[in-house]
Amino acid sequence: MSIMAQAAIVFGLCLISEGIAALLPVSFPASVIALLLLGLLLFSRALKPEHIQQLSTFLVANMAFFFLPSCVEMMEHAPAILRQLLPFLLVVLVTTPVVYGVTAWTVQLLVRRLRGRGVRRHV
Amino acid sequence: MSDALLTSPFLGLTLSAAAWCAGCWLQKKTGLLLCNPLLVAAALIIGVLALFRVPYSAYALGGDFIKLMLGPVTAVLALNIYNQREILKENFLPVLAGCLVGSLTSVGSVLLLCRLFRVEEALTASLLPKSVTTAIAIGIAESQGGVGGIAAAAVIITGLAGAVLAPLFAKLFHITEPVAEGLAIGACSHALGTTRAMEIGQTQGAMSSIAICVCGIFTSLLALFL
Repeated sequence: MSIMAQAAIVFGLCLISEGIAALLPVSFPASVIALLLLGLLLFSRALKPEHIQQLSTFLVANMAFFFLPSCVEMMEHAPAILRQLLPFLLVVLVTTPVVYGVTAWTVQLLVRRLRGRGVRRHV
Repeated sequence: MSDALLTSPFLGLTLSAAAWCAGCWLQKKTGLLLCNPLLVAAALIIGVLALFRVPYSAYALGGDFIKLMLGPVTAVLALNIYNQREILKENFLPVLAGCLVGSLTSVGSVLLLCRLFRVEEALTASLLPKSVTTAIAIGIAESQGGVGGIAAAAVIITGLAGAVLAPLFAKLFHITEPVAEGLAIGACSHALGTTRAMEIGQTQGAMSSIAICVCGIFTSLLALFL
């Protein structure tokens, strides 16, 4: 499928998602609605991976680039952040490994326990 | 002429693309973790803007185009998840449990630390959603009385920390299961961490993409009760 057709599909989904987000009674991000919609279309086989393959590959391969303007924007909020720099950095840098550790340990224990049970069942 | 330059979106687009290339080049040249292309590129742009006294709003004319693409970028992560559907089916329960625990830990630990350090309410509200992706975080922060821009800054710094330190975290916590590693990266550092997870492995990348989506949903729901 041509790259413009792929763009039409992906941009169209984003457009529809913004419409859905506006209709929801609570504030929910349109980009996650678009992710869910696209997932639904793929899993229901209404859309084939080939239909969005090239565009997806390009976007995902350069994903970090799209965060660049948000990074530069931090400059705008520098005074507010600098005023409370220490708690700001402390909270961000302490909680990140904590979330990583707790999540990873939960999943690792669960995966191993489930696998262990599966093995026993097969024996 | 300078007016024409300052009102053209091409200023932001050119600066972004050029700074990004410089960042990637430096990363390749030095191989240092801290020379993250995003960090280097942002520092370069901030430096150039400050040097030539260009206001952020002039950069944003072009920058906003790039920022707009975060929506489609998040959406097409669905394909990564779809391509790894077998692993998802096998690990459905760990995925749900991991993301629930991750979201609770993130919001809980931020609240606890903020109370401990007597952080201002507005800053606390801006820090709460720091582990979810930008689009979600800004919405949550503002609904809690925070400042969208500060929330975005917290998200970016968290994401950078996750992207740079993820391999170190895996060693530190003795994580050897790819599923656990991927989910944890996505849960603690969203799409920015996911860029790193994809370099580590396909399973890690897909699990990290799933975590962005599921943790985004859990955190949004959690914020409704705060």
